Amino acid sequence: MELLIKNGAVVDPVNGNKGDKTDISIKDGKIVNKVSSKATVLDAGGRLVMAGGVDAHSHIAGAKVNVGRMMRPEDSRSGISPRTKITRPCTGYTVPNVYAMGYRYAQMGYTTVFEAAQAIMKARHTHEELEEIPIIDKGALTLFGSNWPTMDFVREKDMDKLAAYVAWGLLASRGFGVKCVNPGGGEMWGFGKNVTGLDDVVPSFDVTPREIIVSLMKVNEMLKLPHSVHLHCNNLGNPGNYKTTLASMELADQVKASKNRQVMHVTHLLFNSWGGTNWGDFESKSDEIANFLNNHDNVTGDMGQMIFGSATTMTADGPKQYANAKLLHAKWSNGDVECEDASGVVPIYYVKQISVHAIMWAIGLELALLTKDPYKMLLTTDHPNGGPFVNYSEVIALLMSNKKRQEEIKTVHEAVHAKNKLPGLDRELDFSEIAIMTRAGTAKVLGLLDTKGHLGVGADADISIYDIKPDQIDPSVEHAKIKSAFSSAAYTIKGGNIVVKDGQITATPLGRTYWVDAKVPQQHHDEMMKDIVKKFKNYYSIQLANYMVQDEYVTHPQVIKAGSVPVEVN
Amino acid sequence: MLTVTLKPKKEIKISVEAENISADIFSGKTEKEIQSLVVWMGNQKTTIGELFSVKVEGSGPAADTKIVLEGDFSRVKRIGEGMTAGLILINGNVDMHLGAKMSGGKISVKGNVDSWAGREMKGGELIVEGNAAYYLGAGYRGESCGMRGGKITVMGNALDFVGEHMCGGEIIVKGNTGILPGLSNNGGKIVIGGNTSRPGSEMSKGTIIVNGKVDEMMPVFKLEGDEVVDGVTYKKYTGDVIGNGKGLLYIK
Amino acid sequence: MTVITDALCPFCGCLCDDLTIVVENNKITDIKNACKLGSAKIMGHHRIEAPMMRADKKSEFKEVSYEEAINEAAAILFKSKRPLLYGWASALCEVHKKGILLAEEVGAIIDNTATVCHAPSTLAVHEKGLPTATLGQIKNRSDVTVFWGSNPVHAHPRHMGRYSVFAKGFFQEKGRKGRKVIVVDVRKTETAAMADEFIQVQQGSDYLVISALRAILSGHADVVPESVGGVPKEQLAKLVDTLKAAKFGAVFFGMGLTQSISRYKNIDNAISLITELNAYTKYVITPMRGHYNVTGFGQVCSWETGFATAVDFARGAPYYNPGETAANDVLMRKETDAAMIIAGDAGAHFPADSVRQLARIPVIQIDPYWNPTTEVSNVVIPVAICGVEVAGTAYRMDGVSLQMRKMVEPTLPTDVEVLERITQRVRKLRGE
Repeated sequence: MELLIKNGAVVDPVNGNKGDKTDISIKDGKIVNKVSSKATVLDAGGRLVMAGGVDAHSHIAGAKVNVGRMMRPEDSRSGISPRTKITRPCTGYTVPNVYAMGYRYAQMGYTTVFEAAQAIMKARHTHEELEEIPIIDKGALTLFGSNWPTMDFVREKDMDKLAAYVAWGLLASRGFGVKCVNPGGGEMWGFGKNVTGLDDVVPSFDVTPREIIVSLMKVNEMLKLPHSVHLHCNNLGNPGNYKTTLASMELADQVKASKNRQVMHVTHLLFNSWGGTNWGDFESKSDEIANFLNNHDNVTGDMGQMIFGSATTMTADGPKQYANAKLLHAKWSNGDVECEDASGVVPIYYVKQISVHAIMWAIGLELALLTKDPYKMLLTTDHPNGGPFVNYSEVIALLMSNKKRQEEIKTVHEAVHAKNKLPGLDRELDFSEIAIMTRAGTAKVLGLLDTKGHLGVGADADISIYDIKPDQIDPSVEHAKIKSAFSSAAYTIKGGNIVVKDGQITATPLGRTYWVDAKVPQQHHDEMMKDIVKKFKNYYSIQLANYMVQDEYVTHPQVIKAGSVPVEVN
Repeated sequence: MLTVTLKPKKEIKISVEAENISADIFSGKTEKEIQSLVVWMGNQKTTIGELFSVKVEGSGPAADTKIVLEGDFSRVKRIGEGMTAGLILINGNVDMHLGAKMSGGKISVKGNVDSWAGREMKGGELIVEGNAAYYLGAGYRGESCGMRGGKITVMGNALDFVGEHMCGGEIIVKGNTGILPGLSNNGGKIVIGGNTSRPGSEMSKGTIIVNGKVDEMMPVFKLEGDEVVDGVTYKKYTGDVIGNGKGLLYIK
Repeated sequence: MTVITDALCPFCGCLCDDLTIVVENNKITDIKNACKLGSAKIMGHHRIEAPMMRADKKSEFKEVSYEEAINEAAAILFKSKRPLLYGWASALCEVHKKGILLAEEVGAIIDNTATVCHAPSTLAVHEKGLPTATLGQIKNRSDVTVFWGSNPVHAHPRHMGRYSVFAKGFFQEKGRKGRKVIVVDVRKTETAAMADEFIQVQQGSDYLVISALRAILSGHADVVPESVGGVPKEQLAKLVDTLKAAKFGAVFFGMGLTQSISRYKNIDNAISLITELNAYTKYVITPMRGHYNVTGFGQVCSWETGFATAVDFARGAPYYNPGETAANDVLMRKETDAAMIIAGDAGAHFPADSVRQLARIPVIQIDPYWNPTTEVSNVVIPVAICGVEVAGTAYRMDGVSLQMRKMVEPTLPTDVEVLERITQRVRKLRGE
């Protein structure tokens, strides 16, 4: 199957293309140098062509997403559409069903999305849902930040065993990378408590969040994993937390990267860049965070942009979610996972005229505008915590147009003038910078830049075409057109197949699931397993033999080899 | 004035979903256009004309539209959904979700209404001469607000969960109600002429007045003493104390 | 002889995964670690041997081929204006997926057996969420375990040993001795007999008692009368103190709470109590789910349709409103004009009015076993036993998913095969 996209205004920062008319040749799902005369020709008509969107942090599948659906039928009843000849029925806005999840990403021109958190013990569930999400390629990050084996090996300072555990945990969960949420806090929440900073000691395990973060970064690099440690900082959602965030980011200097990428990705920074001491003196400290990123090359972040309206917060940060529910008088689900982590789900409604919400909204945009290098600040809404991913086009339009921002600022609580820098920021991102924040940067941060996030030869033929002619539009003024175009792709091509045309789904192939198979020396593995066997015998409620996700649950795997021993080449 | 009279052509056994029976939708339409409006019977897509005889007299905007439903509508759901103006007269019984989300106009029922009548109602008036089933003026599952405005009057009795999650408006039930009227209320007023049980649980705002007997009282209300409302002396309670609720419960 | 270790039990929501099964000549000859209920289920009984049909409910069944039975099933569903697909609790998640697709294709209501046990819990979760934990968390930590309207000794025999009472864990090395066990029920059950405290509540008064506990907990004991639901205020106050004194408390509730007066509002209220206790210490609450994979149906249905159960596909898009779209809602109104009952026994567990409606309409049964539903069926399609003859996914009562093993080779088609063939046939009838 060959396809030739002609006459596209290609924005491909990795390959230095800033909108030149370039033909793209596709064969067998990959981008190639040229195709034969038999290739189907798709005339882009001078419209914007980018690599398929890549999302490095979104809650799309697994236990807590489904808890969100179960507790929010009022959300599921919005966004309902019946089945068609091609598509299954869709429901939901903040917690869409699996079909809507795949279709809506594809309709925006996104082709690869990573679920941000799965506990190993519940990974089978994550994969059951991933298997049902159509079109997009996907993967899931695995939680390691409060796991008992992690804390034991950190306390024992046994990095070989910790590396072996991480490698085994990724295999057991068919996971893609190391997620660390409120390290130590998940265990503390087991008795309804929390850690308050990097140096609190987790009782019974005698380790601190600082030690957990540094150790996980070390073994992440020992294992040469494609992605770095993916950190949800301690104290998320608390006024004054920017200090904890800065102190956490400083830990990156203690570890050397094994690859050409960061050693720490700090996620949904909107929720971690807060000054003040309470909700009264709450203010933005996005400048401090951006300043840190501007002066360090080993840390990246993503926005976690907030969208006004309905959202569903869901995270492994169990104590934060209880606090949220209490603050908001909202319904609350909690989901502790034995020996591993916590989690919670709480609905929220972000209101323009609530000062804290307005300040938060501005913080997200400031992070993107104050961080000079877009490779260091990815576009996310931490779906559905900041808001549903279907609003990415709104965020893109805001980042590309100061005019739109000023118009919005007029409609939100006046606190943004005193507590935020946003009103005075006139930076407007261009198409290349947007392509980095949504494609090249996310792919690089994930360690997938060889095949994702660009349109060079050898890349996956994941392509989006938007109904904009970059040389004929002024995004600063015509922001409504930008928003409209990015919300509904003219074409989305996934693996060489046209899956979306004029915003409508035309085909629903099943994408692949990325996971990382990391090897460690056999002896380290065997030593580590002795501890694991004991834990299952005494503390888990299931048998070790039933723990690991079986192959049947990942029918289209894309396995990336890694490890601390030489990687076998297939 | 537009007057549209509908009458079932034959007995309806499988519920019909007929949110298209509404003054807003009928106004400005010809008899033929009204006949071709879609309704669903089970999984069969059909039309108003297939199921009902349609008589149209005059013409007019929604506010000047009267819909008369003759015969048995006890298996026709969602009549008057989202209505903003006009009048619907129902001469018999009617099925679930009557006047759901309506924001204006008036619906008057000679017979009984099934569950969720006036669900999430925002305005307008709903008058039921017979009885109401469950969830009168309540919300949809999971929502934090049911009825927000308007007025519902039931001359007969109502079953459980009257005005659940009510955030505004007024519900009057002249007869008795089932358990837990005014559950999780956050505003609005419920007046019960007869008996009830367990009123006002989890109320944070709003008013419930019970003129009959309360079979079982929730152990979450503080007795404030006697108070005269509209010339009648009631025992006045506040609660639900658990959430420091500011709800008012008056019991004769 | 084959020995299968770490096998899963296809009986109750405990989904015990430590069974040892001995198989000789494709027959199970020994089961270790299972409770009596589990063993009986695995050994099976009253298998239906071949597909059967009959023209009306009074005639005798006649054996037919699978093709004939499947074609007839498809014809019934295709013709129906208000079909119901009900059951699912004793089937694997792989079966649920096929069932939901079939429901979409024929515009059916799909509902599961939770409708007669724990669906009220789901309604409560819509109101309040569900603060819960995996069972191992409870085994490792709980020092107060409460069974409210649930009787594990009788219904979940290994629950207390594996997870909640006798089990030893990291912070609970002493097992039973380290835990205070409280039972709240309307009668002194077997579980109550071995509890440290038993609180007897008058039938139908759970809601009031929970509210009274919440009032006391929130510092408003002054408004609570001297006795609520038959429980003296003093005893309620003591219970609140005991609950607060826990380091980690776990509440398990059963049908005593979901099926008594106020139904889901009891659970709603209990969830609020648990949420409020978290202001003092750690508490979690877990429904004692009955069938081994009734939880799984709720999971699959939620991710596929956005709603946990009772989904109406009549108009092509999912619509959910128990009270309107649950199996008994449509059966009692005599709206259902055809039903498929699969992996659940409506004939035995539905109210009489619903069963009478089933007796009036064409009914398809898909099940390994002969049961009361068979008596009201027109088409009966026997299948292999999920979790014994078919491997696949099931969800434990706490939402942990596990893969069930195949113990012996099936001799009959699986549910998945039968549902796929019915779906294909429906498409053919539609002219696709």
